[in-house]
Amino acid sequence: MKEVQTFRPRLKVLGKQQVDAIHASALEILATMGVKMEHPGALAMLKNAGCEVFNEDWVKIPAELVEAAIKTAPKKFTLYDQNGNPAMPLEDGNSFYGTGSDTNFTIDVETGERRPTVIADVANFAKLVDGLDNISFNMSMANAQDVPVKDIYIHAFVAMVKNTNKPMVFIADSGRDIAVIHQIASAIAGGEEKFRAKPFMLNYSEAISPLRFPETIVDKLIFCAQKGIPLCLPSGSNAGGGAPVTLAGAMAMGIAENLAGLVIHQMTNKGAPFLFGPNVSVLDMKSAVVSYGCPEWSLSQAALADMRDELYGIPTWAYAGASDSKVMDAQAGAEAAFSIYSAMLAHANVIHDMGYLEYGSTSCLEMVTMANELVAMSRFFAGGIPVNDGTLALDALKRVSGTPGSMFLMDDHTFEHFMEAQFTPKLLDRSRYDAWEGAGSQDMYKRCNVEAKRILDEHEMEPKSKEVLEQIDNIVSK
Amino acid sequence: MSDYKALQEAVLKGDIKTALEQTQKAIDAKDVARDVLDNGLIPAMDEMGDRFAKGVAFVPQMLRAAKTMQECVKLLQPLFAEGDITSKGKVLIGTVKGDLHDIGKNLVAMMLEGAGFTIVDIGVDVSPDKFVEKVKETNPDIVGMSALLSTTMPAMPETIEALKTAGLRDNIKIMIGGAPVTEKYATQIEADSYASDAGSAVAKAKELLGIS
Ligand code: B12
Repeated sequence: MKEVQTFRPRLKVLGKQQVDAIHASALEILATMGVKMEHPGALAMLKNAGCEVFNEDWVKIPAELVEAAIKTAPKKFTLYDQNGNPAMPLEDGNSFYGTGSDTNFTIDVETGERRPTVIADVANFAKLVDGLDNISFNMSMANAQDVPVKDIYIHAFVAMVKNTNKPMVFIADSGRDIAVIHQIASAIAGGEEKFRAKPFMLNYSEAISPLRFPETIVDKLIFCAQKGIPLCLPSGSNAGGGAPVTLAGAMAMGIAENLAGLVIHQMTNKGAPFLFGPNVSVLDMKSAVVSYGCPEWSLSQAALADMRDELYGIPTWAYAGASDSKVMDAQAGAEAAFSIYSAMLAHANVIHDMGYLEYGSTSCLEMVTMANELVAMSRFFAGGIPVNDGTLALDALKRVSGTPGSMFLMDDHTFEHFMEAQFTPKLLDRSRYDAWEGAGSQDMYKRCNVEAKRILDEHEMEPKSKEVLEQIDNIVSK
Repeated sequence: MSDYKALQEAVLKGDIKTALEQTQKAIDAKDVARDVLDNGLIPAMDEMGDRFAKGVAFVPQMLRAAKTMQECVKLLQPLFAEGDITSKGKVLIGTVKGDLHDIGKNLVAMMLEGAGFTIVDIGVDVSPDKFVEKVKETNPDIVGMSALLSTTMPAMPETIEALKTAGLRDNIKIMIGGAPVTEKYATQIEADSYASDAGSAVAKAKELLGIS
């Protein structure tokens, strides 16, 4: 039989016409309304490039500059792990999932209670991520209340690198702490140039919708461009709050903000890696909460993946595996599954916020553990159906139908292929009732709790060398 | 006294045009401005607040009703008698130093305004000194502080301290809010009140000033 390519299921929500219309609207926003650029250096740079500055620090950015930045931005790049191995090749719609940043509360894994987060939580989440196969990158998951506020992001970073070797997405407050974090990263990579060649971390900074670029944020953007630290710059263009309530308008505005950032980024250093996309969630009109479980966010980021494929080519930033529920219940499962699955089918690239509850206020180890399993399930689905002589299995059918009393279960074909032909869940329970009852009648939350605790107990990350650890301590104590 | 049903319906619908027509009708009928406000507009807003609390009205409807009411009040403004208090009190509100989140603060400000308070919004990233300066300048009844980051929460006690040092603390009530803020934290830093969302912020503000 002639070889048949496996079709990768793909969710498409925009066609070329809509993509062009949204892009045109983003260009119009930049060229006619402009952005508020509170960074004097960036403002001067834009002015020199021919942009019109008005009302002190507002600046209009013409389409040519935007198109030039899109052209020079890399269409693929790789995030490495902290040992220098390629870990996340961001190309071809590859999807990678990771946790989220700063939550105020966490569900305590021992007591099940919601309590304020501490630095030990950052360490625990990192360790859990290190031990979970389908979580590709780590974020802090906690805004620790027991470390000095001034250096909070440095402390979080250190707690992370001491507990995982996976790629990371990190937050910094300003140009000051990001420089320290970069020093630590360089120490881990074996020098600044080695880090530049094989970056293992991505900075998460945010512009402010509508259309505002505070100085500290642009400081970080420029620093990342100079040092070759990949970054994303998703403004919080939530529909109905920071952005128009209709998704097309919210996307156009969020994309305009992203493109303005990209222009400065590429002017600073052509070819520096940039991850595309705003966070287009919704402001819920009953609770006035920015939702972390709504279908709109999933829909807008699927649309963004279409914009990537039809136009920009630049890898995208996305979210999934989070929930607005206060506890890890059926709602949390439904919202996590929906977003993980649709992000995978949309071929979004870097997908964060796995394990959030309570619209991003609370983190939950069990939720991360469940999300890990849901990624595996979605990945299986997104793998499509390989069609070839082996999978069509006419030989097996011949054997089985020719042997009275035989069935496929006993056939060699089953023995040889069942591992890849089937998805084998680990935590999603398919046992018979009596077995389930015998094992303590545990629900999904309880099973994830047991598994999270097991990983925290048993998992050992490959430790960093003594020299690197010493260097880190030196940098921090300076 | 006229029947304000049509006016109230217009406010609840957020139909500014009809609400203004109804207000004008009341004015032409020589209704007392105070009555139009107390028996027409305010009960309509109370009803809206009730619907919102019950989850049958949505934020944009609430805000539109508030806007409708404000337009009507503007029309009535020249007709209020001397001594008619048309403001429930003055609230100065800002997001604390280092914090740039303002959607929640803005919503609280709009809801308070809709409920009849006068608002002085001093923006985001407001330092303790700036709070002090603005309190001196505008003489508010309540100072509202918003913080969305646990890293910027400490600016709240700092601001309270600065207000104390400036000798202003006793003249004002302090109300705080924002996602990481809790009732317990409010007590701890000796703020007078905490509200978890815009709806309860209105109730708490009224409580602080002993009005309904
Ligand atoms: C939108 C958003 C942004 C936007 C803000 C845009 C804007 N103009 O405000 C942008 C993108 C700029 C942003 C930036 C950052 N953000 Co932010 N952001 C959010 C998000 C998604 C929604 C906040 C919001 O607007 N909610 C809607 C409003 C209506 O609700 P609200 O703010 O809670 O306000 C209500 C109540 O709290 C209360 N209230 C609020 N203020 C007051 C004041 C008074 C007096 C009273 C009585 C009541 C009250 O009433 C309000 C109305 O009901 C939250 C997560 C979330 N889902 O809440 C994260 C979140 C707050 N951000 C967070 C972080 C970490 C950041 C950044 C540091 C991220 C970064 N990578 O740099 C920066 C910080 C910038 C800075 N220095 O301030 C964290 C905070 C974590 C923590 N522990 O502190 C959160 C929780 C997300 C997360 N889990 O990581 N963010």
